[in-house]
Amino acid sequence: MSSLEAVVAALRRSDARSSVPRFFVHAAVGAGIWVGAVLLITRLVPFERRLQLALLGVPVMLAVAATAWLASRPGPGVLMSLADQSLGLKERLSTAWERRASSGLMDDLQRLDALQHAKRARLARAFPMRVNRREVGVLAMVAVAALLLAILPNPMDRLLAQQRADAASQAAAANAVHAVEAKIAANATTVPPDPKVQKILGATEKQIRQAPDPRQALQAISPAEQQLLQLSDPQTPARTSTAQNLANSLSATKAGKAAGQALTASPAKGAQALRELASQLQSLSPQERAQLAQALATAAQHAQDPAMAASLSRASSALAAGDYAAAAAALSDMASQLDSLQAQQNTDAQVAAAINSLEAARQGLAAQADRDAAAASGGAGAGASPGAGAGASPGAGAGASPGAGAGNANGGNGTGGTGNGTGSGGSSGHGNSGSGTGSGTGSKPSEKLFVPGQPVPGQFENDPTPLGPGQDVPLTPYTQVVQAYGKAALDATDQSLIPGSERDLVREYFSTLGAS
Amino acid sequence: MIAEEPRVDPKKVTELATSLETELGRLIVGQKELLRDTVIALIGGGHILLEGVPGLGKTMLVRSLGQALDLTFSRIQFTPDLMPADIVGTNIIREDSGRREFEYQPGPIFASLVLADEVNRATPKTQSALLEAMQERTVTVGNETRALPVPFFVLATQNPIELEGTYPLPEAQLDRFFFKALVPFPSETELLEIARRTTGATIPELHAIGDAESIIAAQQVAREVPIAEHVLRYAGRLIIATHPSRTELDSVRKYVRYGASPRGLQTLVLAGKVRALLEGRYNVAFEDVAAVARPALRHRVFLQFEAEADGVTTDQIIDEVLERTTKESASP
Repeated sequence: MSSLEAVVAALRRSDARSSVPRFFVHAAVGAGIWVGAVLLITRLVPFERRLQLALLGVPVMLAVAATAWLASRPGPGVLMSLADQSLGLKERLSTAWERRASSGLMDDLQRLDALQHAKRARLARAFPMRVNRREVGVLAMVAVAALLLAILPNPMDRLLAQQRADAASQAAAANAVHAVEAKIAANATTVPPDPKVQKILGATEKQIRQAPDPRQALQAISPAEQQLLQLSDPQTPARTSTAQNLANSLSATKAGKAAGQALTASPAKGAQALRELASQLQSLSPQERAQLAQALATAAQHAQDPAMAASLSRASSALAAGDYAAAAAALSDMASQLDSLQAQQNTDAQVAAAINSLEAARQGLAAQADRDAAAASGGAGAGASPGAGAGASPGAGAGASPGAGAGNANGGNGTGGTGNGTGSGGSSGHGNSGSGTGSGTGSKPSEKLFVPGQPVPGQFENDPTPLGPGQDVPLTPYTQVVQAYGKAALDATDQSLIPGSERDLVREYFSTLGAS
Repeated sequence: MIAEEPRVDPKKVTELATSLETELGRLIVGQKELLRDTVIALIGGGHILLEGVPGLGKTMLVRSLGQALDLTFSRIQFTPDLMPADIVGTNIIREDSGRREFEYQPGPIFASLVLADEVNRATPKTQSALLEAMQERTVTVGNETRALPVPFFVLATQNPIELEGTYPLPEAQLDRFFFKALVPFPSETELLEIARRTTGATIPELHAIGDAESIIAAQQVAREVPIAEHVLRYAGRLIIATHPSRTELDSVRKYVRYGASPRGLQTLVLAGKVRALLEGRYNVAFEDVAAVARPALRHRVFLQFEAEADGVTTDQIIDEVLERTTKESASP
């Protein structure tokens, strides 16, 4: 060794060789505990990126250990003192280092003596590498525990998969709504978009995206459909039929043939042609005017819309009486109604497209909600779901709207706690929307529910059927039949012309039953 | 303060001490520890109190030391009727040419090596006269103060038995001894060797291997030996650990009446330095301090009556203090 600094450098290297593995073991233990803790916690709390989070502990712990190692490195004086003790140098190095700035014969001799002994000593062995067996044991145990936690199936995986499927179905439903919204906006040059339709679709898309699960997202669709349906005019079919009759009648006349063809093409073109015809009434021959008056009278007789019928009748009468100005005014009034019809038809088309998209969204969300409910009921049957049999389940209300327009409402029954619900009836034909309010009473989660039963699959006819408490009729446990009943009800709703809102109510009702 | 450069090579001090031990060993059988303690005290510039039963070679050791170092030697046998003037000297009336005048007649204290044999047999007054001379290295008779020769080294002996009619040295005076060395009874082998050496036709003669100057130079060199701060801290903690009010040791709290004085720390450090030189080292190590702790502290730690009742000795207390005072805690 040429100098005390060289001795310090050699001792520092020896200390690093000794302490780095020790700190590395510390880091490994810390990382193992981190990984184990993360894997353990994510068995209780669903977390999507648990492996990434667990592996994050490795660099974090290495960084912490490296920082601790750097902070705990001994100074030169301590290194010298420790080397004195471990190498048996009898405080030669520490004394020499402490008095390195002193000069004099004794100090020079002491330094020389210290350096000579340092040269003979194996400084690399000043800090031997020691493995703490207990720490290594802890590391092994932590590693095994972390490995087991990583290998064994995580009960949260199913929940996470369900959440992913929920998110995907909600995204698909929202995208479907958004696509229609975009399509309506894209056709703005040919058909002006209805801002109300656009607003309803935008709000519904947002609600679907923000809903916590498909079941909640479904609840946004029915109100949207209701709002869209309110934009439709129930008189539109009658007015369309009247316009078509008028077109047929005018096509049979010489003077009105062009107007009839234009009206067949579209109400707007028909309105324009009628206005032109009104301006040409005076130039028509008497025979043509009589023929035209007759066609208008015929159309008025077959008209299903009272306002249109009145206009046509006035035009026919005035033309027959030779009052061209009155006839022209009546025809212009009819043209205005055709313009209105055209606008309403445009709105109806957009409403129809919107409702179709909402129905498509509903199908996807409903399918996912059914799968979620099935999974939840499966968990309840296994007794693993903490929510099984508990909670306050809302009642379900269902409204039925007959075509005559007089809606009535039937309340549904809920189970599980005490609940109430509000159902809304759909629109069919020319009927008015119906609404209903339901209320439900439920039992406590610990109570066993019974329903009047029939043998269910897997149950033999001659099996003794238990009697319900205080009852004298055979009862089947509720949990054995609710799934079969639910499936049958949903099949029935799929096969029959039941409005989507009612289907939602039925699905929600049985989902609630299954969950409780 | 600028340290004075040692005037002789420290290696020569080591050689001198080693030679002195070897030379004394030619006459003194065994007693290696006693010889080492004596040499350390000599080079450390202190005095030594030898305790042992009669006939173990205490007087021979001092006499041999005088021969080996070519120093003036005197022996004072302490008895109850010994007076201070018998030690320090006195003024006597001298008649010269019809005139009478006082002339100072130096006492036996005026020698470089003084053997105060059975020091505890003299009265406290006489003991005080000796111990004052030991401390001040001067003697005052009448109005005149006279310096004692340099080096001045007192080896006092006392007998641990036959305490009838003795005057045990008070604590303050014991503190003035650099070391208190115990003279153990020799082993069987050593006994036989003593018989061989002392009952033959010839008795080995010692050669002078040093003189007053060499001893003075060695004393100066010893003080130049560096001691690291953490070793000094260790020595300080040893001293503190002997104090019942400041120690963490139950045995010290229970058995010790008074702990070691600051002179004890000075002795530990100085004796450690000398021992380092004797070991061929130029710095004080923990082991040097530990090795001299017994002779340096055993007469400075005063035990309670409970210790005597329980058979606990000062050396046991010191050993426990050494064992429980960790060197690691003193390290930087």
